[in-house]
Amino acid sequence: MLESIVLSGVAIGCIYALIGITYNVMFSASRVFSFTAGALGMLGGVLGSLFIAQVGMPLIAGFILALFGGVVLGIVTEIVAVRPVLKSLDQHLYVLSTLALALMVQQFTAIEWGTDARPFPRLLDFARGGFDQQFWLPILACAVVIVGLELLYRHTLIGHAFMAIAEDTYAARALGLPERRLRMTSYALAGAIGALAGFAGGEMLLAFFGNAPLLTFYGFVPVALGGVGNNRGAVVAGLLLGLFQQAANFLVGGIFASVAVFAVFIIVLLVRPEGLAGAALQRRV
Amino acid sequence: MPISADEPLLQVANLSSGYGKIVVLHGVDLTVAAGEVVALLGPNSAGKTTLLRAVSGLLPRSGSVRFAGRDLLGANARETVQAGLVHVIEGHRVFTQLAVQDNLLLAARDLPRRERASRVDEMFGLFPEIAAKRHERAAALSGGQQQILAVAQGLVRRPRLLMLDEPSAGLSPVLVDRVLEVVRQLRETGTAVLLVEQLIEKALALADRVYALARGAIVLEARTSEADLPLRLENAYLATATTETASLAIR
Amino acid sequence: METPVAQSQPSRAIALGSLSALSAGLPFLVLFVVGVALPLFGGGYWGVIATRACVYWVLVSGLNLVVGFAGQIAIGWVALLTLGAYTASVLVAGNVTPPFPPYLALVVAAAVGAVFGLVIGLPALRLRTFYFAITTVGFATIVTQVALAWQSVTGGGVGVAGPIFPPPFSSEWGFYYFCLGLAAICTWTTANIASSRFGRALTAIRDAEVAAEASGIAKPALLAMVFLFSGAVAGVAGGLFAALQSYITPDAFTLDLSVLFFIAILIGGRSSIIGPLLGTILLTVLPEFAAPLVAWSTFLYAVLLLVIVLAIPGGIAEILDFKSRRPLDSHRAIIPRPDLLPRLFGSPTDGSLTLEQVALSFGGVQAIDGLDLEIRPGQVHGLIGPNGSGKTTTLNVISGFYVQQRGIVRLNGTALPARAHNKRAHMRIARTFQTPRIVGSASVLQNVMIGGTIDGKGTFAESLFSLPRHRRDEAVLRDTAMLALSAVGLERLASVRIDRLQHSELRFVEIARALMLRPAYLLLDEPAAGLSAEEIKRLGALLLAIARAGIGVLVVEHHPDLIFDICDHITVLNLGRKLAAGTPAEIRTHREVVYAYLGG
Repeated sequence: MLESIVLSGVAIGCIYALIGITYNVMFSASRVFSFTAGALGMLGGVLGSLFIAQVGMPLIAGFILALFGGVVLGIVTEIVAVRPVLKSLDQHLYVLSTLALALMVQQFTAIEWGTDARPFPRLLDFARGGFDQQFWLPILACAVVIVGLELLYRHTLIGHAFMAIAEDTYAARALGLPERRLRMTSYALAGAIGALAGFAGGEMLLAFFGNAPLLTFYGFVPVALGGVGNNRGAVVAGLLLGLFQQAANFLVGGIFASVAVFAVFIIVLLVRPEGLAGAALQRRV
Repeated sequence: MPISADEPLLQVANLSSGYGKIVVLHGVDLTVAAGEVVALLGPNSAGKTTLLRAVSGLLPRSGSVRFAGRDLLGANARETVQAGLVHVIEGHRVFTQLAVQDNLLLAARDLPRRERASRVDEMFGLFPEIAAKRHERAAALSGGQQQILAVAQGLVRRPRLLMLDEPSAGLSPVLVDRVLEVVRQLRETGTAVLLVEQLIEKALALADRVYALARGAIVLEARTSEADLPLRLENAYLATATTETASLAIR
Repeated sequence: METPVAQSQPSRAIALGSLSALSAGLPFLVLFVVGVALPLFGGGYWGVIATRACVYWVLVSGLNLVVGFAGQIAIGWVALLTLGAYTASVLVAGNVTPPFPPYLALVVAAAVGAVFGLVIGLPALRLRTFYFAITTVGFATIVTQVALAWQSVTGGGVGVAGPIFPPPFSSEWGFYYFCLGLAAICTWTTANIASSRFGRALTAIRDAEVAAEASGIAKPALLAMVFLFSGAVAGVAGGLFAALQSYITPDAFTLDLSVLFFIAILIGGRSSIIGPLLGTILLTVLPEFAAPLVAWSTFLYAVLLLVIVLAIPGGIAEILDFKSRRPLDSHRAIIPRPDLLPRLFGSPTDGSLTLEQVALSFGGVQAIDGLDLEIRPGQVHGLIGPNGSGKTTTLNVISGFYVQQRGIVRLNGTALPARAHNKRAHMRIARTFQTPRIVGSASVLQNVMIGGTIDGKGTFAESLFSLPRHRRDEAVLRDTAMLALSAVGLERLASVRIDRLQHSELRFVEIARALMLRPAYLLLDEPAAGLSAEEIKRLGALLLAIARAGIGVLVVEHHPDLIFDICDHITVLNLGRKLAAGTPAEIRTHREVVYAYLGG
């Protein structure tokens, strides 16, 4: 019993962490949180199910196309909902524009894909005991993303450019860095990560349009608690969230587990608005 | 593109700029010749930083900006940098999370891959104080070293004109001398410099020519060799307002 | 000769005010008449739609104060509708308690809504925008999940019957009139709040928070009242919604509904009542005209939201604002009337505002370092120095935005409490800002009236119902604001939307707003920046007159002409320390100062 709680907690925690990283990657490039993070996750699951189970594509092709869908939505987010409102960041219009885009994606899915949750295909069948695809796939995805991002940020020029933009956009622009192109690339990357989260969590969460608001909320918890822009913090907070949720699920039942998660989230935020991981990233200009 | 003999490297004419509704610059004319060091002085909030930002395409502007025979009015910051006009912004804002070397590599991003490393090494040769810390994060540098790194970031592309915004601000006197020494080094390499500086005497000692800006307009232009310059500068600073009011009264 | 002229201006403004109030009320009246006459035009189904629009508006009217006025992005307000609906239904059904009469159940629903409105709303005081938006979404999700799970009370997925109101409100049209009546009351009360000092304070918190704080507006108390009110009407709307549906299940309360409420407000426009009202009607009715598109309605709302945000952030209200398209006189000058100042101020005070050995550093940089300063009533004190010498920091310490690490700020000998920036207004210390902080969508007059918020006597409840004390407050504030505007020379622009003004005019508006406090001390941060030479001269004369009326004036400034012309005393700062102090004549000849001022 304990084993299955831990396994499913870690797995779902990895999905939350990946959505959290999606938020972070977009935020680092633009100082904007986007409501489309959850929609990206939802889309990853739905597209995976669509291409592999419905259309019958080979696994790899379906996987790549699902990620590609995420990349497209990421880029669309940047062009449609972020770039036009960046000039007036203080008015917080991005909250509304990204919400609108997220709703459009969600409703479009609800209408074209249907409002019922559909199963996600089994990709590779080598389950050993309880260690099923629905558990190892999210864990693997999360590990790949976190290692990949570390390598990117530490060892590549474009990764350095991302870090430069995240730290000081104005200085980066003065230095002649292609700010707009870098931002768009970041959003494409975030789109792929979000879709990967949904794809990896497909079997657990199913291909369901309603996952979008759920992931939007639960994916933001790791960001808020782990510290904005802090991917490692997001993973730690995501895992804690997953474990806490599954344990509460087992102990007090599913619905009140959500209440417990929400209550803890609010209380932690009110006590430490900058998250558990410490200092706020704010810079007064 | 060759420049005709009498066209200066940078030629700014009737430049106006500002922030939204607030117009800060009212038709500024300014030139910098190739290899020349020009100091831009003026009281606080006269519009010096705004002028640099407008020239480097960081702010919307109107008027005319010509550089090396090209019209740069419609150019953005990136295109301006690529044209060889680099602006080192105020406040030694380097990327503290990146290694010193990576800061320079990033600034050299557009150069061919092979050239990048040699240019970075060239900078380390020019500025030994940051060479020693090339693998450390820029956060580990002192304020003066960060300023030197910021200048090096600007130089790594071998610009024809470097605009420096208050490179000495917030530095201890020793570091100020070191940073201004860098400007002297530049002058010897033939790079033109447009220097905004609060330390007037030091700026005058470095520069060939000087402009004074007050209330968003040039109120004085002179060669630093002219004898009565300090007095004229003082008048330009403290008395602009009075003369303006007087001229208004006459009108 | 002077006085009658000056008096005629405020009274003319009042006449103008009541005229514009009448024309502003006209659309509401038309809508109400159409609403009352509706049963004459059609029957059956349209009655249900109209009732639904009324119910939605009851909720949206309250939410409008939260979103449209206070600028808090509260997306999950459907949670309160859910709570109200279940509270009313369960109480009337009597499956937990003895059955309640429907009206009492509605009152309890309002109370529950108010409490939870406060619970969801108050995190807004501490959380940043997106965080708050997300928590409201999370709350909405969880309320629905609880409604689904708590079967013994809510009936779970099966649901529970809604309350039925006794005659005369039991029939379809009877219930419609009941809802219409409540909707009308909500319109009236929220419009009262909107045009009160509370409504102006809300917009000030939204658009110019530091100016609101400097005017003494207490954000927590104000937002708490608004959340209570908004929650209460949302609870009532929930009860009505349950009665209209006649049977409720958790499915009825999706986030889509929340989005509809939210979008209705944005389509309508911020700081507007009529806009969101029209938005609500539009969004309720629109899907009925396009039956095949019903499935797409939420999608279309989202498209609409995106279009509004990107193309017309001002919403319907801005489209309808014909007045602001009339061109302004382009050759207008600011001609202050210093002679009016004495009428703004009481008798001058003695004492002084002093800084003793004040020091403050930011992360190793010593911004001010052991500064002594004395500001005396009746005098202009200039604070000059190079960039980064600590001038604005000094101002921020005096006005309580920064807390000094060492030293004391005393007002008439008593130490001022640290960090209490919204208490400074009560001590009659007013200030202006380097960048004017204004509510762009409000008129010049309304912006100035914000400065007098703390002098109102009436409570929030009195303003809701426009009781006499509220009306008296408004009249006094309006008169004083007109007088302050006349004094700074902008009375002709009183009714103009402030974002149409020139930058220099905004500086004078800020001074007028500061004068609304009837300050004992006035602190100005670079008031001459961006002004023409002529305007600087007028500003100087105005500041001098303000000082001579018995106010202690502190001016942080770069423009030497202003400083040397009007100051009685000048302190020169360099690197956070006092470099020199003295009369203008002394400072002018101070070599070290000239050198420092030049940047040495």
